[in-house]
Amino acid sequence: MQVTLQVVVTGLAAGGVYGLVAIGFSLAFRLTGTIYLAFGDLIGLGVFTTLLVAAGTGPVTQTNVPVGRFVLGAVLGVLVCVVVAAGGYLLVVEPFLARGSTLGWAGGTLALAFGIHALLDSVFPRPAYVFPDPIPFRRVGESGFVTVAGATVQVRALYVAAVALFLALVVAWIVDRTRVGRGLQAIAADPEGARVVGVPATWLVPLAFGLAGGVAALAAITAAPSAPVSVETGTLLGVKGLAAALVVRFGSPLLAFAAGAALGLVEAAIANVHVAGAQLGPAYSTVIPLALVLLVLALWPPREALEAIE
Amino acid sequence: MSAVGGALGRTARAFRDVGREVRIDWSPLAWLVVAALVVAALVPIVLPSSVGTDGLADTGYLALAAVGLGFAVGIGGIPSLAQGAFVGVGAITAAHAVDAGTPALAAALLGAALAAVGGLVVGLGLARLRPVYVVAATWLATWLFSVALGAFPSLSGGARGLVVAPESILGLTPTPTMHYELALALVALAVLGHHMLARSSFGLSLRAAAQRPAGAAALGVPIARVRLIAFAGAAAVGGLAGGLSVQLAAVADPQAYDSWLSFKLLVAVLVGGAATTLGPVAGVLALGGLSLAADLLANLTGADQARFGTLLSALLLLVVLTIGSDGIVPALDRLYPRSRAGGVQPLPGVVSQDGAEVDASGLAKRFGGVVALRSFDLTLRGGRVAALIGPNGSGKTTALRLVAGTLGPDAGRVSLNGDDVTEASTADRARRGLVRTLQNDAVFPELTALENAVVGASLRRRHGGAFRALIASPKARDEARLTRARAMAALETVGLEAQADRLAGTLSGAEQRLLMIASALATEPSALLVDEPSAGAGPIELERLAALLGRLRERGLAVLVVEHNLRLVRAIADEVVVLDAGLVLATGTPDDVARNEGVRAAYLGRRQL
Repeated sequence: MQVTLQVVVTGLAAGGVYGLVAIGFSLAFRLTGTIYLAFGDLIGLGVFTTLLVAAGTGPVTQTNVPVGRFVLGAVLGVLVCVVVAAGGYLLVVEPFLARGSTLGWAGGTLALAFGIHALLDSVFPRPAYVFPDPIPFRRVGESGFVTVAGATVQVRALYVAAVALFLALVVAWIVDRTRVGRGLQAIAADPEGARVVGVPATWLVPLAFGLAGGVAALAAITAAPSAPVSVETGTLLGVKGLAAALVVRFGSPLLAFAAGAALGLVEAAIANVHVAGAQLGPAYSTVIPLALVLLVLALWPPREALEAIE
Repeated sequence: MSAVGGALGRTARAFRDVGREVRIDWSPLAWLVVAALVVAALVPIVLPSSVGTDGLADTGYLALAAVGLGFAVGIGGIPSLAQGAFVGVGAITAAHAVDAGTPALAAALLGAALAAVGGLVVGLGLARLRPVYVVAATWLATWLFSVALGAFPSLSGGARGLVVAPESILGLTPTPTMHYELALALVALAVLGHHMLARSSFGLSLRAAAQRPAGAAALGVPIARVRLIAFAGAAAVGGLAGGLSVQLAAVADPQAYDSWLSFKLLVAVLVGGAATTLGPVAGVLALGGLSLAADLLANLTGADQARFGTLLSALLLLVVLTIGSDGIVPALDRLYPRSRAGGVQPLPGVVSQDGAEVDASGLAKRFGGVVALRSFDLTLRGGRVAALIGPNGSGKTTALRLVAGTLGPDAGRVSLNGDDVTEASTADRARRGLVRTLQNDAVFPELTALENAVVGASLRRRHGGAFRALIASPKARDEARLTRARAMAALETVGLEAQADRLAGTLSGAEQRLLMIASALATEPSALLVDEPSAGAGPIELERLAALLGRLRERGLAVLVVEHNLRLVRAIADEVVVLDAGLVLATGTPDDVARNEGVRAAYLGRRQL
């Protein structure tokens, strides 16, 4: 029981971030029919921009950064992410939509991803960086852990999961309840029709890409102090977010978020829970879910994934 | 003894034929390729120092993997982001095999085989998927492979990698120069194979399916199967490249087979020209030049070379994509335009059909709450033209789809020559002689008119599969000739023989419709379903169309035409079926139907037949 609650909280914290990345993939897919393969590295760009502003490129400890500077870094990180996500859409996705060129946007978004990756790699060459933590969670409970119903739970993980859930609700609210969101839904349902009735798709779509990138980056920055980060962290977030979005067929924001959270839970469970007396361990925690996602797609492909032959 | 003599004689004749064909097809470009190959082979011998030879050999193996990917991407239209993983499968397999005492070449072939199996497994999952899902699935597969390598050190050798002891290959010492020459020979073979396959009816079917999947399916192309073969074949070539390059490097570094390798191979293919045979090789050479530039930059700035390489490759791809270029080789091709090989003689009398009997009874279909077709009966006989008419939304096209098998009925049955084919797929019906043309958008725009018809004619091939086309077996070559002759005869039937070498996308709308009929005729159908052939046709074209349909009737085909143009219907139909609101309102000769009170009231009240 103790282990279970701990696993659930850890899983939800990681999964919440996957969920927000999955929301980004879903939005991009539903608006343009493309997969924005640069999402993961974009988030990495946001996280490392924050780190650069807050603590420079040297090694940091979790306590030596003033809160004001961290907030400035986070704001800049999110901003950079918004701008590059929207600009990336205009540069490497939109030109290929009219041409119907899958290779065009796939190659373009990948080039953007690897370009960002190489850039980050040259500024932050170390295999791992400690991310400063603006909130002193260590002082809560027993050095950051509280005991709930006999289970030890990391307070920081609870906080990350809550922030992620809150952000997902905000995105869902924007998509479902606001004018901008209704415009986006119209574009997703019928791009041509939406244009005809006056939905300003020219700037709504890049805005949505920027929003998705910014929100995901904010979640990733919130989660970053929990563990050492590397340039690869963002890329992997992208892969897992895509896997989650694929499982729910690029569905609504809350559905995509739920899929991401579930993926986090499954990973945590695989890493920690004993199955038939044997512990699978962290080696399997990414491999098994990814393999399952591919297997599900292969065996039970959704109707809209199949090529139309009529 | 005489049997051996006969076999030798046949072999000699086959070689003479090949020689003649090669002479006919030989072009200045071919000379250029041969010259480039000779120069490339001499490089390590002429350059005295062995410095950089291993880099050259590695580039050669990279080019080999790229040619494989180029076939899947450029010919097969499969946007694969997983080729690097298949290279990795080959490398890891070969490393373990060499470690277990397998000879070097056998180990590499084992790597290729395992990569092919991997390609089959992944390909089975994605052969039917839309391109955007293929991108997602292959990207995740690449990551699955590299994460798995990281997670299981026993498989990958962990951070140090697997050490591969150098073994002699074919009795030769495995020096970098030897690897380089081997890589060069394999690249040349792969390019040759690519060339053979791309021109074969297998390759044309692949390209047709990539351009217009619906059109290819209507002509009976087994889309999933041809794509699976292309994907697995590309994986095998990648695996071979991996299995050999790992022996050159003497170590299998698991981090060398991550998503970056897949991306690099895709960049090579796209930069060089995905649709061309030499494109992937040109792309790898361009990337090689880029990495030299990156070296230079790194020396100047003191930064890491690998990051500059990545950055420059990403930039190069962005530039090539953004300016809308289709790659280096197509750009060079446009500088030196070549005339296409013409001179295909039609085969008189090959396209001769026996009529079929098609019976549909009680066909019904609803889409959600909307009843598209309530009950539909139809009888087609050889040597007769039936026309299906009715107002918009009366269910004509639904009826056609149900008969052709692109849609499954909720009720009713379809039989062909007495056999129940209600459950048979479109491709299966096409093989049995029931073929339809689509309403629009179904010619393959980037194939010539003749190649369009060849896709149809491929339905009847028996020996022209991928493997036989690859090795250009005498049977495959004979059949290729026959297939082209059949296709030419079909073009002649519709009067497009003069346009045989033009790209289908450049033909007029009316010509494209005729071409669609020609491709369908090339499948040698006994029953032909034609959807709206007159759309967009002027008076002259209408006359041509009426004459064509008359010729098909004379040949004994059973023809069903879905038409709006009542003048055309009256001119050619032996029998008219009138649909209204999903029900057959009347059936009879054009005159009968014109006199029918119910038809007049429901449909013709506004017009005079």
